[in-house]
Amino acid sequence: MSSEQATETLLQVDAISLSFGGVHALVDVSFDIRKGEVRSIIGPNGAGKSSMLNVINGFYHPQKGTITYQGQARKQMRPHDAAAGGIARTFQNIALFKGMSTLDNIMTGRNTHMSKSLFWQALRIGPAQREEIEHREFVEHVIDFLEIQSIRKTPVGRLPYGLQKRVELGRALAAEPTLLLLDEPMAGMNLEEKEDMSRFILETNDEFGTTIALIEHDMGVVMDISDRVVVLDYGRKIAEGTPLEVRANQNVIDAYLGVSHD
Amino acid sequence: MFYRESGQLKSSYPADQAIFPIAQDRWFVIGVLAAAFLVIPFFLNQYWANAVLLPFLVYALAGLGLNILTGYCGQVSLGTGAFMAVGAYASFKFVGFFPELNFLIVLALSGVITAVVGMIFGLPSLRIKGFYLAVATLAAQFFLVWMFNKVGWFYDYNLTGMITVRPIDFFGIRITGPEATPAAKYLFTLTVVCVLALSAKNIVRGRIGREWMAIRDMDIAAELIGIRPLRAKLSAFAVSSFYIGVAGALYFAVYLGAVEPVEAFDINQSFYVLFIIIIGGLGSVLGAFLGAAFIVLVPILLKNIMVGGMGFDSGMAGHVEILLMGMLIIFFLIVEPHGLARLWQIAKEKLRLWPFPH
Amino acid sequence: MGFDIFLLEVILSGLMTGVMYALVALGFVLIFKASGIFNFAQGVMALFAALALYDFLAEDGWFFAVFGFTLPVWLAIPATIVVMIVLAWVIERTVLRFLVKQNEIILFMATIGLAFVLEGLGDILFGSDVKPLDIGIPQGASDWLLDSFNLYLEKLEIFAAGTAAVLVVVLAIFFQRTRIGRALRAVADDHQAALSVGISLDKIWVIVWSVSGIVALVAGIMWGSKSGVQFSLSLIALKALPVLILGGFTSVPGAIVGGLIIGVGEKLAEVYIGPMVGGAIENWFAYMLALGFLLFRPQGLFGERIIERV
Repeated sequence: MSSEQATETLLQVDAISLSFGGVHALVDVSFDIRKGEVRSIIGPNGAGKSSMLNVINGFYHPQKGTITYQGQARKQMRPHDAAAGGIARTFQNIALFKGMSTLDNIMTGRNTHMSKSLFWQALRIGPAQREEIEHREFVEHVIDFLEIQSIRKTPVGRLPYGLQKRVELGRALAAEPTLLLLDEPMAGMNLEEKEDMSRFILETNDEFGTTIALIEHDMGVVMDISDRVVVLDYGRKIAEGTPLEVRANQNVIDAYLGVSHD
Repeated sequence: MFYRESGQLKSSYPADQAIFPIAQDRWFVIGVLAAAFLVIPFFLNQYWANAVLLPFLVYALAGLGLNILTGYCGQVSLGTGAFMAVGAYASFKFVGFFPELNFLIVLALSGVITAVVGMIFGLPSLRIKGFYLAVATLAAQFFLVWMFNKVGWFYDYNLTGMITVRPIDFFGIRITGPEATPAAKYLFTLTVVCVLALSAKNIVRGRIGREWMAIRDMDIAAELIGIRPLRAKLSAFAVSSFYIGVAGALYFAVYLGAVEPVEAFDINQSFYVLFIIIIGGLGSVLGAFLGAAFIVLVPILLKNIMVGGMGFDSGMAGHVEILLMGMLIIFFLIVEPHGLARLWQIAKEKLRLWPFPH
Repeated sequence: MGFDIFLLEVILSGLMTGVMYALVALGFVLIFKASGIFNFAQGVMALFAALALYDFLAEDGWFFAVFGFTLPVWLAIPATIVVMIVLAWVIERTVLRFLVKQNEIILFMATIGLAFVLEGLGDILFGSDVKPLDIGIPQGASDWLLDSFNLYLEKLEIFAAGTAAVLVVVLAIFFQRTRIGRALRAVADDHQAALSVGISLDKIWVIVWSVSGIVALVAGIMWGSKSGVQFSLSLIALKALPVLILGGFTSVPGAIVGGLIIGVGEKLAEVYIGPMVGGAIENWFAYMLALGFLLFRPQGLFGERIIERV
C-alpha cells in the first residue's frame, strides 16, 4: 500500500499566502511532500485545495511564501518550469483538448520530451518520423496501462465522464512525471470506477515511484491509499499526519462537522 | 460494400499514422492527382485557367494558411489580405533586385518575409484572445495596405501605384506575363500548392500541430502541461503567414499579373479567405480546398444563371452573391461548424456502411 | 491666435466625429452587455435602418410604389423602428436561437455572416446608390458660434452630440434601474444560468437587438444626414471596434469616451502627422491606438478585468 518511507523531501511549501482581491484563498500554509509517497490534501469545499495545487503548478503566484522543489527554492513557479521539472497534473473539471482524439491528447503529454524542429516536421521522413514513432510507443504503454485501447482514436469530447478522467490521467502519466498532482480524480465516479482509478494511482506510485499529491473527498479512498494527509480549512492548515492520526484529530472532525466515512 | 476498412490491418505505427490509411482513399487521391497533373493541362484554355483553376489554387493555399492560424490554433485573424500583399510586394521587389533568381526561391523568400511580419503582428496574441485579437489583426490590415499605397519604394515609384510582374522563366518555361501559357501557369502553381499542402498535413499531425490544437482547445491547460504559448502562437503566425505570403505572391505574379493594393488586398479579401475556411471546415487541410472550390465556383455559377439565364445585370448578381455568402456562413456555423470537410467525412462514413443505414 | 482657433476647431471637429462613432459603438455595447455577442453587423444595421427610413420618406421607394404615398417624418421614424423590431425578431428566430451555447468566436463569425446578409439584402431591396436623407435636422454651420467665437461648427454635429447624450442617459437608467435591465445583465453573464432562473432568453434577445436596432437607426440618421446613406456607413462598424477597445466592451460611458478619444486622435494625427507621410492616416490610426491599448490595458478604460480560473 505505501512505498518505502524515503525521508528525502521532494517538494516543500513554506508560509504560502494567496489572495484574490479581498478573498484569502490560502493563509500561511506550510507542508512537505516526501519522495515516493502518496500525500493527500483534504478539507471541506472552498478550503483552498485546488488553489494549493495551482500554486505548486505555477498557475497562481502566491503573494507570500516560497516553494522548494527538488532542492531549488522559488518565490513562484512558472508553468513551463513546473512541467519541465517533472510536475504533471489532472484537473477538477477535466481540462482535456476536446477537439483531439484520446491518442493525440495523451501525445501532448509527451510534448516536453519532443523537440524536432519545424523543418523536419514538415518533411515527416527521417528524424521527425522516428521521434513520433518513439513517443507513440511510450504513449501506447500508457494506454495499455490504463486499459483504454478501444477508445484511442475517439475524440475525447464524445467520451463518458469516467473515461475522460482516465484519459486525463494518461496525459499526465505520459509526461513521466516526478510529481503527479491529482485534483479530485474520483469525482463523479461509481464504485467500480473508483476502484480502477485507485488501482492505477497505486500502481503508478509502486511501479514507477512517482510521488503523488492527491485532492480527494472520498474518505475511504484517502484512508486506503495515502501515506500522509494534510488538512486545509478556510485556507489554513489545520492538521497533518498519517491517515489514522488525522482521522482522530478533533479539529478535523469539527471542520467536517462530524461527517465520517467508513 | 466496396468501401470498407475491415481487412485492412495495420502492423506498424507508421502505417497507422499514414495520411490516408484506407486503401480506397489512397487510390482516390492518386487518381485525382493524376488527373490534375496529367490530364487537365491538355484540356486547359485561358478562361478555365484564369477564372477557375488558378484562383482556386491560390485561394486554397491562402485558406490553408489561415486555417493553420484560425482553425488549428484558434487565433482569429482579419489581416489575411494584408499578408497576401506582403508576399506579393516582397516577390515584386525580389524579382526587381535579382531578376535571374529562380522563382521558387523568390516565392520561398517572400514567404519568409511575410512570416516575419506575421510574427510581429502576432505578438499581441500573447496577451489578447478571440475577437480582441481580430482587432489587432485589423490594425495590420489597414496599416499595411496604407503603407503599400503610400510608400513609393514598394511600387518602384510607378505613377499608377500598381505593380506589374516581369516576365519570368522557370527552367526555361515562361510562367508569368502575357506570353505564359495557361498550362505552364497552372502546372507551376499546382506543384507549389501540392508540396505545401503535403507539408501542412505533416506539420498538423505532428508535435507542433498538437501544440496548436491544444492552445486552441484550452490554452491554460496547454500551458500547464508544458506547452509554451509564446512559441506555439508565434509559430502558428509564422507558418500561416508564410503560406499566405506565398499565396499572395502567386496571386500577383502568376494569376493576376498586376495589382493595386487597395483593390486586391483590402479587408474584403480577408473576409473572403475567412469564409473559405468557415465553409470548407475549420481545422482541416481538405477544408481549405473544398472551401476555395466553393467560393470560386459559386459566383461563376450565379453569374451564369442570373445574368446569362435570367437576364439580371451583373451588379445585382454581385449583391445576391453577398447575400448568399452571408446566408451560407450562418448556415454552416449553425448546422455544421466543421464545414464541408466534415460533411465529406460523414458521407464517407455513410458510404462505408452502405448498404446498411447505420 | 489664428493657430489656436484652428487647433480648437480640429479638436471640436474630432469630438463631433467621435460622437458619431460613439453612437455606433453604443449599439455594440448593448448587445455585448446583454448577450455576450459581438455584433459585427451593427454598422450594417445602421445602414439598413437608414435605408428603410429613406424608403418611407422618398418617392422612389417601395413604400410609395405599394401604397402610393410617402410618410411624413414623424410617422416614418416610428415605422422604421417597427421594421427594426421585426428585424430583431427575425434574427433571433433564424440565427441566435441556434447558436446559444457556442463559443464567442463562432458567434462573432455568425454576425459577420449576418452583416453580409443585411448588406446584400439592403442592396437588392433599395439599390446601392447614395441617397440623401433629410428629416429636418438643421444643416449648415452654426451662425451664432461663427459670429460670437469665430468657430466653425456644424449644427448637425451639435444636434448629434445632444442626441447621443440623451441616449446614454436613457440607456444607463434602463440598465441600472429596470427589471429588464437586470435580466439583460444576467443573460450576458451566463446564458445557462439565466435560463435556469426562468429568464426567457429569446424574449430578452429580441428586446436587446431591437433597442440596438433603434440605436443603429439614430446613428444611421446622423451619419446619413451628414453624408448621405451609402455603403461606407457599414464600414463605420469596423471603426467602432477600436472605440470599444478603448472604452471597454461592456461600458456605455466607455463607448462615448472611447469614441471621443478616437475621433479627436484621428483628426489630430491626420492634421499634424499626416502631411509628413502622405496623408490618409485616418485609415489606420484608430486601430494602431487600439492595438496599443490591447497590449497594455486590454480591458479598456472602463471595462471589467477578466480573471481566468482553472
